[in-house]
Amino acid sequence: MLKDKLKAALAPLNLAQVSDGDYAKTGYHLEVAAGPEQMPAVAQAMLDQGCFLESFTAVDLRESFTLVYHFASFDELCRTVVHASLMKETKEAKGAQAPTISRVYPGADWYEREVYDLFGIKFAGHPNLKRLLLPEDADFHPLLKDFGAEPGND
Amino acid sequence: MEAKTGDPLIRLGLLEEALNLARANSLWPLTFGLACCAIEMMAAGMARFDLDRFGAGVFRPSPRQSDLMLVAGTISKKMAPAVVRLYEQMPAPKWVIAMGNCAISGGPFYYPNQYAIIPGADLIIPVDVYIPGCPPRPEAILEAILMLEEKITKRGRLRKFRDAKR
Amino acid sequence: MIEIGIEEKTYTLNLGPQHPSTHGVLRVLLEMDGEYITKAEPVIGYGHRGHEHMAENRNYQQFLPNMGRVDYLHALAYNQGYCMAVEKLVGLTVPERGEFIRVILSELNRISSHLVWIGAYLLDLGAFTPILYAFDDREHILDLLDRITGSRLTYCFYRFGGAPRDLDEEFITGVRAFIKRLRSRFRDYESLVTKNAIFINRTRDVGVITRDQAVKYGLTGPTLRGSGIAYDIRKSEPYSAYPAFDFQIPIGEKGDVFDRYLVRILEMEQSLRIIEQALNQLPNGPIMADKVPKRLKPAAGEVYQAVESARGEFGCYIVSQGDIKPYRIKLRVPSFGNLSILPEVAVDTLVADLVAILGSVDVVIPEIDR
Repeated sequence: MLKDKLKAALAPLNLAQVSDGDYAKTGYHLEVAAGPEQMPAVAQAMLDQGCFLESFTAVDLRESFTLVYHFASFDELCRTVVHASLMKETKEAKGAQAPTISRVYPGADWYEREVYDLFGIKFAGHPNLKRLLLPEDADFHPLLKDFGAEPGND
Repeated sequence: MEAKTGDPLIRLGLLEEALNLARANSLWPLTFGLACCAIEMMAAGMARFDLDRFGAGVFRPSPRQSDLMLVAGTISKKMAPAVVRLYEQMPAPKWVIAMGNCAISGGPFYYPNQYAIIPGADLIIPVDVYIPGCPPRPEAILEAILMLEEKITKRGRLRKFRDAKR
Repeated sequence: MIEIGIEEKTYTLNLGPQHPSTHGVLRVLLEMDGEYITKAEPVIGYGHRGHEHMAENRNYQQFLPNMGRVDYLHALAYNQGYCMAVEKLVGLTVPERGEFIRVILSELNRISSHLVWIGAYLLDLGAFTPILYAFDDREHILDLLDRITGSRLTYCFYRFGGAPRDLDEEFITGVRAFIKRLRSRFRDYESLVTKNAIFINRTRDVGVITRDQAVKYGLTGPTLRGSGIAYDIRKSEPYSAYPAFDFQIPIGEKGDVFDRYLVRILEMEQSLRIIEQALNQLPNGPIMADKVPKRLKPAAGEVYQAVESARGEFGCYIVSQGDIKPYRIKLRVPSFGNLSILPEVAVDTLVADLVAILGSVDVVIPEIDR
């Protein structure tokens, strides 16, 4: 069973949470919580088991970000979601930086650029961290919760 | 036509009318599909709706060879400089048809917090005919081409029959 | 910009954002060594309309029309994915007849999407006849779908809990006649295209994608199945009424452009099989779930729903915090991952091959840019 193999592969990484998901309600078979700095190791473990990166995005929870990685497999149905909580940069504390997983999954290159474009989260070690969707000279990140209304459009 | 190219230096009289008739009946559009409306533009050029019988079926990929720009789709802020540049690259006399709600006024994407689009093609280039719809049917594109022909030649098509019911 | 060195002469060529291959507004920056490409970098974002930002400013029902505009060629699959995700969040069950209606309409839409792809792709390669055939067949499908949904292209037909309008007798006879007609047209496509020597020369052994690349870039859809991997959400993670039907997943062998083309042709035949079986087994009953709340206020939580669209896996990820507006919606679109493999596959190919490879990946730019 792929789920058990994944649990066994993730066990030595000392992650905060590795538990079964409620598939009928959420669509996940396995729910994992990790720290952003553990992500390259998690990604390598998933790649070794033959999973592909289905999707990668971020959610702005006002006090922090959550990076959400979805993994699935071509051979057996087992969707894994990995939540990684990233502290925001404030006056007191320097924000945490998330390392890139594009060395493991080259497909993550564009996903990380999109997250940088929409949220402003930088990925350490990314080969080409430029904006993807907005014009190169844009100076705002639209999906942040405090992105204000623009007065009209030109 | 005078409004776009300025007062013509030489008035050719009846020859101008003949030239306008020729231009109207052989409008060569630029392939400029930006989003969903592009597919309906393609369908208008295909066998069932056949834009070619009005002379407008030769879609040119290069702006230098076309005289009609059919703005089909939403203009995003990243794309706007390219739209203006393409319009400037077209030789005069040239016309623009704004196709679809997005090209007219931003369409379904216009709302107070919108940061990404230009709400309407006529904010950046002059537009001659507007086709409402999301997406408009290919028959609407045919009607727009005929309306543009009327505008160019300043003659109606069988106007006395068409306007009788109004 | 021309740099002349002792050993290499490369120059930069800009393809797009306005160019005749009507895939939308894509720009590809090419660095060329003669006619061979040394580096290809796609630049996207020219169609960015801010769907995900709109989602946070609209309630669930108001966001439904956006789904038809994300990928307009297979809009019903995106409708279905979003509706299913919200139904999972709220806890609605769609009745059986509603599920069958969704499947029939989605499969018709899939066929029309593949027809547009065949026409436009062969137009890219320089053939003018197949697009006329393909769009003619597509008009028949659009007539049928227009009867029921009211739109030709950007459908917004499914509602949370089912479908709002039922199929009528004329639609069913029309679909049966169409199935017969399209089956006879496949012979035309085979002789015009599949057995065409020029087409085979341009597409065989071009743009080969290996299994390793497919896993690392997260490819899905016919782009993946051309490389011999039988991953189709309708079989791997069955949803809606698909478990009731018997159909196959065509796969290729070598992973080149020709295999990806063949997969799509065979998929159209399989879609016809599904529609036939669905019409034969169509159950009676209601088409909408009862007790659908007027103002949807799902409980806090998140959901991920995957459906198979004509381009690959469409995933809808919704985070709800108990409000009438979603907190975050992420649309996982297949063309995003499928296009990101272009820089790797396009190295050391001719520009003409690049056009063939780009077309075979079947991208729709507004869905990448959202």
